[in-house]
Amino acid sequence: MNRRTVLRAAGAGVAGVTLAGCLTRNGDENGTPAEDDGPLRIATYTSMVDGYDPAGPWLKEAFEEEHPDAELEWTVPEDGVNLYVQQAQQDVEVDADLYFGLNVDDLVRVDEELGEGALFQPLDRDRLENAGRVRSDLEFDDPSGRVLPYDTGYISLVYDENEVDEPTTFEDLVDPAYEGTLLAQNAQQSDPGQAFMLWTIDAYGTDGYLEYWRELVDNDVDIRGDWDSAYNAYLEGERPIVVSYSTDQVFAVADDLDLSRHQVAFPNEQGYANPEGMAIFEGAQTDLAYEFVDFVLSSEAQAEIATRNVQFPAIEAEYVDLEDSFTDYAFEPSEAVTFSYDDLRGNLDGWTDEWSREIVGR
Amino acid sequence: MSASGRIADVRAWFAGRALVVMALATAAVLVVMLYVPVGVVFSEALFVDGRFSVGNFRAVLADPFYLGVLAPVFADPLAVGTHLGALVGWLASISVSVSPAFPWFTLEVPDVRLGLFGFTAYQATLSTVASVVLGLPAAYVLANYEFRGRQTLRSLTILPFVLPGIMVAVGFYATFGQTGTLNSLLGLAGLGPYPFLGRYPLAVVIVAHAFYNAPLVARITVAAWESVDVRTVETARSLGASPRRAFRDVVVPQLLPAVLTGALLTFVFTFMTFPIVLALGGLQLATVEVWVYDRIRRLAFAEAATLAVLETIVTLSVTYAYLRYESAQAGMSRAASPPPREQLFPDVRTAFTPSRLAILGYGVVAAVVFVGPLASLIVGSVTDGSGFTLRYYAFLLERQVEGASFQTRPWPAIRNSLLFGVATLAVALPMGVVISVLTARAGRLGTVVDALAMLPLAVSGIVFGIGLLQGLVFGIALPGGWRLQVTGAVAIVAAHAVAAYPFVTRNVSPLLADLDPAMVESARALGATRARALLDVELPLVASGVVAGAAFAFAISIGEFSSTVILAAGSETYTMPVAVERYLGRRPGPAIAMGTLLLVVTAASFVVVDRVGGRFERD
Repeated sequence: MNRRTVLRAAGAGVAGVTLAGCLTRNGDENGTPAEDDGPLRIATYTSMVDGYDPAGPWLKEAFEEEHPDAELEWTVPEDGVNLYVQQAQQDVEVDADLYFGLNVDDLVRVDEELGEGALFQPLDRDRLENAGRVRSDLEFDDPSGRVLPYDTGYISLVYDENEVDEPTTFEDLVDPAYEGTLLAQNAQQSDPGQAFMLWTIDAYGTDGYLEYWRELVDNDVDIRGDWDSAYNAYLEGERPIVVSYSTDQVFAVADDLDLSRHQVAFPNEQGYANPEGMAIFEGAQTDLAYEFVDFVLSSEAQAEIATRNVQFPAIEAEYVDLEDSFTDYAFEPSEAVTFSYDDLRGNLDGWTDEWSREIVGR
Repeated sequence: MSASGRIADVRAWFAGRALVVMALATAAVLVVMLYVPVGVVFSEALFVDGRFSVGNFRAVLADPFYLGVLAPVFADPLAVGTHLGALVGWLASISVSVSPAFPWFTLEVPDVRLGLFGFTAYQATLSTVASVVLGLPAAYVLANYEFRGRQTLRSLTILPFVLPGIMVAVGFYATFGQTGTLNSLLGLAGLGPYPFLGRYPLAVVIVAHAFYNAPLVARITVAAWESVDVRTVETARSLGASPRRAFRDVVVPQLLPAVLTGALLTFVFTFMTFPIVLALGGLQLATVEVWVYDRIRRLAFAEAATLAVLETIVTLSVTYAYLRYESAQAGMSRAASPPPREQLFPDVRTAFTPSRLAILGYGVVAAVVFVGPLASLIVGSVTDGSGFTLRYYAFLLERQVEGASFQTRPWPAIRNSLLFGVATLAVALPMGVVISVLTARAGRLGTVVDALAMLPLAVSGIVFGIGLLQGLVFGIALPGGWRLQVTGAVAIVAAHAVAAYPFVTRNVSPLLADLDPAMVESARALGATRARALLDVELPLVASGVVAGAAFAFAISIGEFSSTVILAAGSETYTMPVAVERYLGRRPGPAIAMGTLLLVVTAASFVVVDRVGGRFERD
């Protein structure tokens, strides 16, 4: 019995009530290549498909229009790429063709769990017309060449100019004038939180970042679990500075919010770049997946992803036209900081552990 | 023998053994949905490279980060002298200073490093005290006074219980935040603004825990109060006891098990707390569960499982201690005949008596803590930065009408939540009652079984979710290359029932233990089967407990998140809380609107559950 059919039937909700348990034979499914006539199964995160005007539905429609024989199927696994790492570990069929929304740290975790070069196939860039247009500064530097970026965000500070002056350096944030003003996120479990921690490592080095955070804690930084709770607290006027994204004003304008409460600051004139990538699973239906990757890097798709996902395109500016509503309110830092695969490999867990123990142990 | 005779025989056989059959069914559900998944994860803690080892535990226990001042004791248990020396040193460094100013004595106690476990227990204890202090007055008012809407209010006490943590955080910011409702009101009086949330994060977390759990304490206590035998009070009074004395000596002992049950559940819940501390308290107030979550996200299952096992040991020990107490309380037979209720405000003059004013004062506190956040959510769903708006609801409507199959639509979420809730009731009620009956008169062994039956509450929700994923969604390998997989609607209902039945048990057991065994024995002597005696004699007498348990079971199912998302393998089995989480994004509006729908739908359901249930109670 094909496992995918089973899951689909069992998941069909109330209609599938009678089908609770199911016996399957291992041999029937493992190692079987994906059906080439089935839908292209793409795993992603929630806001790609749900929320206001997301990019996912547009991508599906436009891609299916261009490839009338193809069908695209979005899935949103709980806890992201971890599901597929576990499927691989437990010898269960990995039930997706492509992962859309991979971060560098995800890739590092994949390799630390499954071995270098695992889970995804190396991309043959010669098969991709648009691969050459990708901004080189956003590349993942994966030694196995499995990932291509499709957009990037910049972590920055968002502040309320009625309450505080623009923080222009990291040193500002530990100044008594900024006591009790900053909302940050837990680097253990939040993307911007982790990015902000790595950024301080870039600024102060692995010997100095804990000392800097000690000063931040003394200056009463408030570290929330995730971006949602930190940003909610910011919206409610709890504190005047929050670690967030440099595209914040795009949303503020769309929501008629007061821009003076949504100013973007780049401490040290930097922002931390968090490129998002896509990768094709081993054993996926490769041809269609390549078509999709190429399509995502087309000018048209890049413009749509940028405005709908409110992130910057991954291809060079000359290849993509962006609406004014985006370019007027989305800011890029003059210098982007980012940690490559090599920087993070073998280090990330240790840095995060030391960081969290430093904060909690006090 | 004729066929119909044989069927009658089979039927009689089943009737005679109905309880056994149900007990076996309960055991089967527990094995598949609880013991196997949890065992899959826990074994990661106990086995290193396939061999049994306590190394994982030793590493955690000896780490001052986790155990604080107790870590050296675990690191080197035999160095009694050293540990005593450390204790003496600590005692010696306590100093008392005497000064002429008030307070005359000040006690200087050196800081004790609590460690993650110590802090978790500390905030759970404070949260429990706060929940009991806030919950008991509500129970007193609901059980003793009559007023318009009492029944409805009693039904709604359980509402906070179903709210996702992130919704509570949103409601708390909107109420207690720097620019929140409370500060706006105080501003009218020329006060504030006060940084309620910013300055005292621990206090905020504790109030949020009370928001969740005080209603639980209230509800369990009301159920017990309504089954107090008023004749025992009358007897005490006729023997010359003052009302105060009669209350202390007769009513309080009958209520105490219920109050402590509420306290126990609160402690267990807040010991395992996770989303609330992260949303409201910040990382400085992290609990053990925060670390479990972090290890799971990094796929470090051995460490996660080790922490989860230790958490479970703590919560099960507390549960066992309580159950020992509870079984010692089992006493005399009494038929429920609840005390009559007084009018809350019969006339204007009574409204100004001290007791009425105290109730009024409590009402104000309750309105701020409970109604405030809920009302703020509702207001937040129809306002944006610039005023009144219906666009969040328009978003939901549009998503319902035009949403693609891979998107989350509101109606399927509502429908699934209600269906799973009702199905959970149908499964959890018999399970909970069966376990109550089996453990009611089994002495100390019964207490052990009872404590183990509380396992679903004592196990980390995150670990349970991972167990379900690895055990049931991926499937359990069977001989011959087969795999047993359990996913979809039935698995979700079973998981919800497993999470919910302990509430039925905890509400029913104390009442059941109080019944005179002679009643069941005489029914059996007159020819009733054990199941018949349960149905006709015992259940009607403990109906208030069963109904209270039912409401909890329904609430657990509606509010459950972590195992639902994991078992909802298809996109069609999401529930309301899952929809709320999926709508969260850069704009919280749609999620808040969906949260408001969740509130409205569950509020309506609770009123129905209670009204329907009320018909079985002897009110």
